[in-house]
Amino acid sequence: MNASAQVDDKRPGVPRSATAAEAQAADEQSQYLTFMLGGEQFAIGILGIKEIIEYAGLTEVPMMPECIRGVINMRGAVVPVLDLSARFGRKVTAITKRTCIIIVEIESDGERHDMGVIVDAVNAVLEIPLSEIEPAPAFGAKIRTDFIAGMGKVNGKFVILLNVDQVLSPDEISALAQVGANAQASAGVPGPT
Amino acid sequence: MATERKRKKSAPPLCIEGEMSIYRARELKQTLHAPLEKTATIEVDLSAVTELDTAGLQLLLLAKRSAQARQGDLRIVAHSPAVGEVFALLQLDGHFGVSAPASSDTPQRH
Amino acid sequence: MELDQALQTFIAESREQLEDMENALLAVGREEEDESEKVNAIFRAAHTIKGSSGLFGLDHVVAFTHVVESVLDRVRDGEILLVDDLVSLLLSCRDHMGMLIDAVANEGADAGGGIAEQGAPLVARLRGYLDAPQSADPPAAAAPAAAPAGDAAAEDPADDEPAGADRWHISLRFGPNVLRDGMDPLSFLRYLGRLGAITGIATLSDAMPDAAEMDPEACYLGFEIAFESDADKAAIESVFEFVRDDCSIRILPPHSRVSEYVRLIRELPEETARLGEMLVRCGTVTAGELEAALDTQTVQSAQPSEAPRQPIGAILVEQGSVQPAVVEAALARQKQVNELKGQESRSIRIDADKLDQLINQVGELIIAGASVNLIAQRAHNVELQERASTLSSLVESVRDSALQLRMVRIGATFSRFQRVVHDAAREIGKDIRLAVSGEDTELDKTVVEKIADPITHLVRNAIDHGIEPAEQRAASGKPAQGTVRLNAYHDSGSIVIEVSDDGGGLKRDRILAKAIERGLVEPGRSLADGEILDLVFEPGFSTAEAVTSLSGRGVGMDVVKRNIAALRGSVSIASEEGVGTTVTVRLPLTLAIIDGFQVEIGKTAFVVPLDMIEECVELSAEPGHDYTNLRGQVLPFIRLRDLFKVEGKPARRENIVVLKYAGQKAGLVVDTLVGEFQTVIKPMGKLFGQVRCISGSTILGSGDVALILDVPSLVQQAIQQGAPQVSSKQAAVAASAC
Repeated sequence: MNASAQVDDKRPGVPRSATAAEAQAADEQSQYLTFMLGGEQFAIGILGIKEIIEYAGLTEVPMMPECIRGVINMRGAVVPVLDLSARFGRKVTAITKRTCIIIVEIESDGERHDMGVIVDAVNAVLEIPLSEIEPAPAFGAKIRTDFIAGMGKVNGKFVILLNVDQVLSPDEISALAQVGANAQASAGVPGPT
Repeated sequence: MATERKRKKSAPPLCIEGEMSIYRARELKQTLHAPLEKTATIEVDLSAVTELDTAGLQLLLLAKRSAQARQGDLRIVAHSPAVGEVFALLQLDGHFGVSAPASSDTPQRH
Repeated sequence: MELDQALQTFIAESREQLEDMENALLAVGREEEDESEKVNAIFRAAHTIKGSSGLFGLDHVVAFTHVVESVLDRVRDGEILLVDDLVSLLLSCRDHMGMLIDAVANEGADAGGGIAEQGAPLVARLRGYLDAPQSADPPAAAAPAAAPAGDAAAEDPADDEPAGADRWHISLRFGPNVLRDGMDPLSFLRYLGRLGAITGIATLSDAMPDAAEMDPEACYLGFEIAFESDADKAAIESVFEFVRDDCSIRILPPHSRVSEYVRLIRELPEETARLGEMLVRCGTVTAGELEAALDTQTVQSAQPSEAPRQPIGAILVEQGSVQPAVVEAALARQKQVNELKGQESRSIRIDADKLDQLINQVGELIIAGASVNLIAQRAHNVELQERASTLSSLVESVRDSALQLRMVRIGATFSRFQRVVHDAAREIGKDIRLAVSGEDTELDKTVVEKIADPITHLVRNAIDHGIEPAEQRAASGKPAQGTVRLNAYHDSGSIVIEVSDDGGGLKRDRILAKAIERGLVEPGRSLADGEILDLVFEPGFSTAEAVTSLSGRGVGMDVVKRNIAALRGSVSIASEEGVGTTVTVRLPLTLAIIDGFQVEIGKTAFVVPLDMIEECVELSAEPGHDYTNLRGQVLPFIRLRDLFKVEGKPARRENIVVLKYAGQKAGLVVDTLVGEFQTVIKPMGKLFGQVRCISGSTILGSGDVALILDVPSLVQQAIQQGAPQVSSKQAAVAASAC
């Protein structure tokens, strides 16, 4: 938790001039944070990223689906942490020394929420110009196509650019949570009806 | 309350004698404001004041305002007829928290 | 005080007035109270709102309220009887006034044109009462006196009304050099006294700077004087002949128009409001006259950007310097507030957001304090530990005081239901009275705001379906008038609100039949009494044969339950056929901070609200059963480790936390008991909205997040788990605390 790296420090407080600001904005739009997950490289646009922290101090929340790992204390606010791999329907991320939590700000129903996602390791911030981004393939990426914002070409390889708002949609995840809770209830623990 | 009573004992009221007028205005401003450096609330004995004019009155108003600005007050514990007459004329009895002298023939309204 | 802020105060006070008016209207006809006092209260409310609205130039409010007031005036004189129909009409008028005020609140002072038109039918009906011959309305009542400044051409007839005073008004501002030039303003005043009587005088020292800059030889004073004299203007002027060059003098003859005074005020250097106050203080004009004149001008000039003038009323209140005798009814309300402040300065209005902020900060303080405590313990420094514990107890009392600030009596919420019952009962033609008790029970404002809707629903249900029609009541030997009862009390960290009726009660066979019909219950399954009644909380359940416009018992009971559950509360129902139904709502006293008890399973910490813990005992289970023998009683329990599927082996010595909730007890098996501490409830967010058995989270001194257990749902789980039912009789036997 102490080893936190501010990513959004580059954002200018006051733009020097309109053109400089535009250039900066364009820059930021094409900047992506790449990270590893299950041996595969993914990327998220850096605009939505608030912080990257070490994996530590996580409190598990019982009776939740696998993709919700728990909650952490982010300077006094309780922030949910998701297991991205589990969210993609793969196996639960194993915790190693390099495991990180990326804190992402998402918007849902006009409200801003912070959410953490567990990744195996963070790689780098890369510039991927729009011309180097291809639309998502109809199939073959092995994750839901609506999770994919596009395919970025980096050194001749494709990197999946994630559609964070969709992947981390609170509505969808809380629906999952409800299903999970109900399943739990029917599996021996009678819940209140 | 208890502390105030204690203070009453330890610090006697500021006693002003003679005329409170334009001729002594500078000196009186000092006299009235000096105790305000130490304490927010001061008590003033005006029973030996022979004359009070606009300049003197102004200084009393000022000292009271300064004291109140510091959450304190200026209290007049006693006053002479000369002072009472001015307070009655300007209907300032209430402002200074003194009762008007009964002998005064100036119309009083409250 | 900003004009805007004054308007806010006006809105808040008007709403209070409307509430008073409503309460008084609803009390009409109740024999135990004095009728004329009620009429007076109604009149006073309308009158005050009209007056205050005038101050803010809310002409449409004034116009409507004026008609209401005229009718009430005649009621007060005994010319019109306050019959049922009129009460209903006046209630509708009250509602309309409420809408007008709401419009002002939402859209500002210019709002309300559209809504005002909706008042037309009401006005027409009110006019019906006024048709009988009557004396002309007092002109001042029609609209606040309009008094344009001297340069404006248009003049309202009211402006020709001379101001109340039959005295001269003299306004003096002495120049700085007067004293140095050897003149004493006091001597001029003494001299003035020979020409007549100074009836009122106010000394202005506004021009005098602070002590540091004040030149003791310069004159800074000014005077506003009301002067009673037969002398003419020239004679009065001659008094000040010697200082004429060094003094500004303004003299207004007796019975000057209000506009003259206003012009005077404008021309003088001091703040308008302050001067107005001085004029009022020395008795030259009444506050009402001045207010009307000043405020109408604001509206007419329609230049809000022009130096904002503060309503004098607000200033008068702030300074506590009103001469009650001269203040007109337009300021009656402010005066009342003022006197109250003067006597006891008992209450102040605070923005609720500021309070919330304070509570949040106290919350942070508690978390920080817990962290200090932890470090002190680790450091094994006795002195530090002592200080930390002193600090903790101080923080605790700060927390209590802070929360206390947000506590409000439930009475105000309850009294709103008088109207609900009145209207609803009329609508369906039943004679129903509302009995209220426990009004003094306090609870957090944030909770109060959220319970009004569920309670309204329950009350309507009681009226609509609980209370039987009169014939049926007569047949079963009950009094013709039905009673709906609201009661509130505190019970183990909760507030309990009961909504009961003396109606027909719930018919269990019909509920069961319906539940089977709806597929909620399998036919042939036998249910306990309580379980049958609880079926009415199932979504879409309704036994009402005729659904009225009010409600259908069952329709929305699930919503009630959900809304209350969202507040960490619970709802239960008890009913005896033919005797009545009682719905009991339990809510936490506050939503922000609780005293918690920390327990651990393995290394995972959980927090149990302290006030729901009865005691803690060491686990000694009957082998193979999930219940234990607690001093001869059967106590069902839940193994938290199993429920939450926490990995690892149970501790060698496990403990049972005995929970009690709503008269039921259940055990919770945990590894370690850590201890009490204060805890701030942190919202878990939308993602965890569906989690059962967890009501929130909190941050421990270590910085880790701990989950707060939802005791009601845990107790329910334990009970339902098939363990022997804990009878209420058993639960009533209180065990000693741990």
